[in-house]
Amino acid sequence: MAEQKQQIEEFVPSEYSAGFVTEIESDSLPPGLSEETVREISRIKGEPEFLLEWRLEAYRHWLTLETPEWAHVNYPEIDYQAISYYSAPKDKKDGPKSLDEVDPELLRTYEKLGVPLEERARLAGVAVDAVFDSVSVANTFQDKLAEEGILFMPFSKAVKQHPELLKKYLGSVVSYRDNYYAALNSAVFSDGSFVYIPKGVRCPMELSTYFRINAANTGQFERTLIIADDDSHVSYLEGCTAPMRDENQLHAAVVELVAMDRAEIKYSTVQNWYPGDENGKGGIYNFVTKRAACRGESSKVSWTQVETGSAITWKYPSVILQGDNSTGEFYSVAVTNNMQQADTGTKMIHLGKNTTSTIISKGISAGRSSNAYRGLVRIGPNAENARNYTECDSLLMGDTCAAHTFPYIEVKNPTAQVEHEASTSKISEDQLFYCKQRGMDLEDAVSMIVNGFCKEVIHQLPMEFAVEAQNLLGLSLEGSVG
Amino acid sequence: MKQLNELATPFATVAESSDLPGQDLPWLQALRQRALTQFSTAGLPAKKQEDWKYTSLWNLSQHPFTHQAVESTVDAAQVEDLALLDDAYRLVIVDGVYVATLSQLDDLPVGLTVRPFSASLDSVKQQLGQQVALDKVGLTALNTLLMKEGVMVHVAADTVVDKPIELLVINSGATADLATHLRNMIVLDVNAQATVVEHYVGVTDGVNFTNVVSEVVLAEQTELFHYKLQQESHQAFHIATLAAKQAAGSQWHTQNITLGGKLSRNDVHSRLEGEQSHTTMDGLYLLNDEQHADTHTRIDHLVPNTTSNELYKGVLNDECHGVFNGKVIVHQDAQKTDSNQYNHNLLLSRGCAIDTKPEMEIYADDVKCGHGSTVGQLDMDQLFFLRARGLDDVTARSLLTHAFAVDVLARLPSETIRQALSAVIEQRLPRGEKS
Repeated sequence: MAEQKQQIEEFVPSEYSAGFVTEIESDSLPPGLSEETVREISRIKGEPEFLLEWRLEAYRHWLTLETPEWAHVNYPEIDYQAISYYSAPKDKKDGPKSLDEVDPELLRTYEKLGVPLEERARLAGVAVDAVFDSVSVANTFQDKLAEEGILFMPFSKAVKQHPELLKKYLGSVVSYRDNYYAALNSAVFSDGSFVYIPKGVRCPMELSTYFRINAANTGQFERTLIIADDDSHVSYLEGCTAPMRDENQLHAAVVELVAMDRAEIKYSTVQNWYPGDENGKGGIYNFVTKRAACRGESSKVSWTQVETGSAITWKYPSVILQGDNSTGEFYSVAVTNNMQQADTGTKMIHLGKNTTSTIISKGISAGRSSNAYRGLVRIGPNAENARNYTECDSLLMGDTCAAHTFPYIEVKNPTAQVEHEASTSKISEDQLFYCKQRGMDLEDAVSMIVNGFCKEVIHQLPMEFAVEAQNLLGLSLEGSVG
Repeated sequence: MKQLNELATPFATVAESSDLPGQDLPWLQALRQRALTQFSTAGLPAKKQEDWKYTSLWNLSQHPFTHQAVESTVDAAQVEDLALLDDAYRLVIVDGVYVATLSQLDDLPVGLTVRPFSASLDSVKQQLGQQVALDKVGLTALNTLLMKEGVMVHVAADTVVDKPIELLVINSGATADLATHLRNMIVLDVNAQATVVEHYVGVTDGVNFTNVVSEVVLAEQTELFHYKLQQESHQAFHIATLAAKQAAGSQWHTQNITLGGKLSRNDVHSRLEGEQSHTTMDGLYLLNDEQHADTHTRIDHLVPNTTSNELYKGVLNDECHGVFNGKVIVHQDAQKTDSNQYNHNLLLSRGCAIDTKPEMEIYADDVKCGHGSTVGQLDMDQLFFLRARGLDDVTARSLLTHAFAVDVLARLPSETIRQALSAVIEQRLPRGEKS
């Protein structure tokens, strides 16, 4: 046992491989937040009046709110006046027209991260709306998508080209009144992605966007809005890595999904923000509001997430099952190591008839980390024959980590069937013994068992992500066996 | 929501005017003073507090209660009728007052002490208030401030008590709007074994408020079978806290049956402080009309090699509302903990609601912990099976519901008590024509 522990310590402080800083001059607002900051962001982005008004309302509402304290996480108070709320690469004025015009430094960054841009993008069949800090610098496959009538563009562009869609859907799933961080995001969001899939269109490729926090001390406030009209289908990938920083950085994003009649949205995330070092120094605060509305009948939204990064994760991708026969799914793997803290889960709000939801959550904690599942399943009084199945399992590695489960189940309809089960254990000695006895070393054995533990979730990911996710799991947990 | 500080009943002034026991004991006066300070600042818990998210004490706070009971007319025949067990050592409290003539405490075996709380203040001094936190819930502070009667059970080392001990608390209805604050102490010395039944009964359907705190102290290698049956009136407020501290090798088996009360709340808490100790927490809430029953349980695994089993079931009918919150906390040193917790609920009609939250907080790695929670209906196939064999719909449903409910009784060994409880549960279910 003692020998094993030693082996663990050799492996645990594995370097954060995406931890490099791209040296590009940034065009930033000075730190600080006031009504003036909000107006300035809106002015820089040349936004229409209605959006500025909306931002200001959100800002004024945010001032009345208090920081939420209920999550099972600890962190020093955030000084919102010390954050710069806007940062963009310098050369954005002219806007790159092709990949040749994109700053080569930037391209090299993506290369190191393995972003499938340029040739690789086409080979992988992925259209990338790569968000570098706050402004989108490169878009691929626009033409191909345009042929189908699909809109996939940076938020700032959508504001100018399709203000009517934004006016209709922005904030309709996550109101700025929703919570503290959603209000903050609504006031100062810089950019993000906008997707509209017209009626009856099946998006021919996986849509993908990479977020990166680059300039130091810049909060990143992304906003994603995806609308799938009747009978459409889209699969959207989101991946994150961030360079190594010693100061904590705030990331408060909002993601809104709208699925109309018989539409299907699949939203996959691999999150690998910088988690801080082994003493809990630095790392990203990831306070995200993600919510989907199944507005139409027989619509379906599926969230899949692999969370390995961030010092603190505070994230509950939710589905509001409004339409009859609609389906919500949540597949999650959350890995915490060293001093990481995760409080994550989902909410399934059943309002329509014959709605079903499935929740599969796998938590793995190692080091001195803390990993909590917090979920809500609510069956409204009119949700006839609603069905939910929830399974959350936790794996503990080492005697200093923690795993928690806080499932809320609220049922107001007697035809509902709700099942919840959860288990917590460590990697079984027997399984390890079995593998080692057959000649595998400890490393491979642990990796294999962990991958088996997470298989149900990893299988939900699109191919490109599944490979990356498996690598990430291995990387995050090398040798952390208890 | 504002804090529930503005109460219709001026509890603090009640404390000054009433004839509470132990006025001459400085340590008890000091304890009551601490409780008063706590209750004056905290008031009753409001819905804003996470532990009271689904239960509002607004109606309780707005109801004017009295603490002076008029003489009641409960007689021995009635007690025989109301008591759960025929053959038991029995201490009877009617409207908050100990009645010696109705109790059966004459032939107690050697090693067993059963006395009213008010006559045992000196002997409980060491342990009173040690199992419950004053600062946590305003209601415990209120109880400490006004506690007047209850039962004190003490089992000496190496004693195995031959018969169950029944605490029968009767609300006769003679005094309208009566509030009683009861405090029970159950102490088992090394190697002792006993069975205790706490039984709360309402005779009429009037309004009353029962606020009870039961403290349990289990020394090494003890075993306590602890049943609680609550059959108060459907207009009653019933607030109960059961808290135990367990030393090495001790076993606390609880069974908590809630049938009565308009609003009832049970807080059951065990602290496993010694290795090889074990807790069983089983319970049932069977509700109809507009009853509201809230159960919060908490098990703290503090040391290595402890185990716990928990099974709570709910049967909800009409417009009732059930709340279950089960917490299992495995502390950092508590390696080799084995714990499981289940909560199953049966929703039988439109209008009822259940809010359930099984929680785990785990700070040790070498553990085996699981929990499960379900909400559902009667199985249509089973119902069809019974109907096909000639049972009418009502009887078939009652039979299946009964089977679902009495499952929680299975784990405790006493056949007599199991049958008595099973019969009580059966009486609550509707009867069909052919049964």
